Amino acid sequence: MKRAIWIGLALSSLLCAQNVSYDRLVHALDEQQNWLTYWGDYSAVRYRTLKQINVSNVKDLRVEWIYQTGQAGSFETVPLVVDGVMYLTGPNGYAYALDARSGRQLWLYKHAFPPGRKGDGVNRGLAILGDQLFMVTPDANVVSLDARTGRLIWQTEMAPYTKGQYTATLAPIVIRDKVIVGISGAEFGIRGFIDAYDTHTGARAWRFWTVPSKDEPGGDTWLGDSWTRGGGSTWMTGTYDPQLNTLYWGVGNPGPDLDGNVRRGDNLYTCSLVALDPDSGHLKWYFQFSPHDTHDWDAAETPMLLDLNWKGRDRKLVVQANRNAFFYVLDRETGEFLMGKPFARQNWATELDAKGRPILMKNQEPSPDGSRVCPGLAGGTNFMAPSYNPETKLFYFAVREQCDVFYTNPPVYIQGRPYWGSVSRGVTEEQEWGLLKALDPLTGESKWDFRYFHAPWAGTLSTAGGLVFAGDQDGYVMAFDANTGKNLWRLNTGNALVNSPMTYMVKGRQYVTMPSGSAVLTFALPE
Amino acid sequence: MKSVTIAFLVWTPVGVWAQTGQDLADGKATFRSNCAFCHGLVGGGGRGPALNLGRFLHGSTDDDIKSVITRGVPGTTMPAFEFEADELKNLIVYVRTLSATANKREEGSLQGDPSSGRKVYERSGCGGCHRIGTEGSVYGPELTRIGAGRSTEYIRESIVNPSADVPQEYAGVTVVTRDGKHITGVRINEDTFSVQIRDMSQSFQMFQKNEVQQVISETKSLMPTYSSLSPSDLQNLIAYLDTLRGDMNAGAGVKKEKGIR
Repeated sequence: MKRAIWIGLALSSLLCAQNVSYDRLVHALDEQQNWLTYWGDYSAVRYRTLKQINVSNVKDLRVEWIYQTGQAGSFETVPLVVDGVMYLTGPNGYAYALDARSGRQLWLYKHAFPPGRKGDGVNRGLAILGDQLFMVTPDANVVSLDARTGRLIWQTEMAPYTKGQYTATLAPIVIRDKVIVGISGAEFGIRGFIDAYDTHTGARAWRFWTVPSKDEPGGDTWLGDSWTRGGGSTWMTGTYDPQLNTLYWGVGNPGPDLDGNVRRGDNLYTCSLVALDPDSGHLKWYFQFSPHDTHDWDAAETPMLLDLNWKGRDRKLVVQANRNAFFYVLDRETGEFLMGKPFARQNWATELDAKGRPILMKNQEPSPDGSRVCPGLAGGTNFMAPSYNPETKLFYFAVREQCDVFYTNPPVYIQGRPYWGSVSRGVTEEQEWGLLKALDPLTGESKWDFRYFHAPWAGTLSTAGGLVFAGDQDGYVMAFDANTGKNLWRLNTGNALVNSPMTYMVKGRQYVTMPSGSAVLTFALPE
Repeated sequence: MKSVTIAFLVWTPVGVWAQTGQDLADGKATFRSNCAFCHGLVGGGGRGPALNLGRFLHGSTDDDIKSVITRGVPGTTMPAFEFEADELKNLIVYVRTLSATANKREEGSLQGDPSSGRKVYERSGCGGCHRIGTEGSVYGPELTRIGAGRSTEYIRESIVNPSADVPQEYAGVTVVTRDGKHITGVRINEDTFSVQIRDMSQSFQMFQKNEVQQVISETKSLMPTYSSLSPSDLQNLIAYLDTLRGDMNAGAGVKKEKGIR
């Protein structure tokens, strides 16, 4: 009898606790009702087979609940949903657990900033393993929380806090017993890295420097000691192939951003995709999209993993719509360049050569009196997530059509200060616009475009309901017919959207969530 | 080295810093990449006022200039800038060097009779679109402090070639309705699905884009070109507009055109 009670208790605690095993993360797409990682799974396809909300009824979609965080600042999080509980972060070191059906709060965590530290900054979300959540903070700490209570389990500083030089904004990724994170601060003369921490202890397991030292391979791509503050932030989450046991991570721009004279050379591994062994942090291969970048076109955009038939052969691919306005297809086993095609206006490269290296146009370098270059500093696209629908075989992403005038200004390095080598300015007489683009990843050609009035900062979600969800800079969250690009539903949320929609299901009902302003908005069909 | 660089010192009414050539070069670089966009590469003005006249609209002490840079000017397009203390110091010193060069041309363009210019303003019907103080229309840009906010060169260009630079907040939009009507106005707001304009009668016109035939972004200014003004009329008009420095009563007595509220 005693044993029976004990087992009953154990079972109920099993049901309450989250227990998200590594195996569940590997098979995240088998749990279509949940959203277990920042990208929804390890490959970042952001496609769900849920189709309760579909092309024929999406017009009836309405707000189901709103959760107000009360936090000012850019709200860039993508929530996790695990068996009816939503976990998300806000700006300024906050994390929340909510009832995913009602939006009612279960707990709230506020990171304790030591006195004198900058306590504000964006955050993009959480990772989960077992009953542990992981997040990073604006003062570059990795924090582990108890998913049941929001209480702090451990906290590790990624880099010494020096006048806010090092910051962190991304959602971590968990692989087996390691939580893997990146760093921000290339605008302040940091040397970037990717770190892995033991999920139990918080002790650092390995570090991969995105800027090699002088004596390491690639160190000769930096002039003098410029590598010591060469930038190479790793401010967006990587993707992971469990079969190949390879982690893919987009590396940010070199520093100083716009004045490359002090760092002549290709500046590896900035503006590159690096493929790492997640157990050791060793580099397997790399591909550099923009050698010696001077336009802040980092490669932080989603490295999406797709298995497609490439010219008659099934291949494991990694695709990226890069900030430099080219769409790339690489072999993800070898890093071989397969294709690169422009998807937006660009006037900096005449073409890519056979190995994918851009052949530069004249007058695309920033200059003291300014050079007009397309795309602008923010790029042809940016961190907002794309999605891939295996039924339409299309890649849906947000395009920014906007050019800038790039100025140089000889950079002076002073610790804790911006180290940009000047600024860029929008071209006032040119009206910007944006696109939701449906692109065939096998050809790089567009199937359809939907035009936005302003250049967007929100990503996409695809579902088996034949839908693409997206957001624009004027605050509209929208649903489109995935085949035709016809706008089927929209709602003005009243604030520029700076994240990507996600979907989940609880007790047989499908929901779509999109944060806006300081609110989490969740939509559903009327019951 | 300091003794050599003293030669770079410019006259400053308050506070004298020991400036180095490098400081001045830094100030110049900061100016070119942050300020020249509106104030011109050598401070001759443009969207923003000229900074090479030796007089500054919001006070000429270093603290005054500092305040304008760090806080911006409310009600204008001058934003607040965040600079480190030494950057700001170098920038101000550089801005002061600008007035040494370009005074003459600016003074030349100021010749003209403001009171005659005011009559040109009335006669040409400028108040049908523009407002001075409490008089005139809110359709076009308000001119109450135009002399403070814009260089005379910019004002001249705005009259003879208004399309040379159209401020975004006065960009024109034409909506073609389903029954073929063309409605033109100033874009108050626009997004992917809707557009809100102010028409010439100063009324809001609001449209959902899926309910109209077409929404056209005008590439030219909605303001007609006044290139037919005689040289003296033009000169006098510019001289008049240059006197407008924010006095809310400055427009009093300007003839009220029909339809002006």
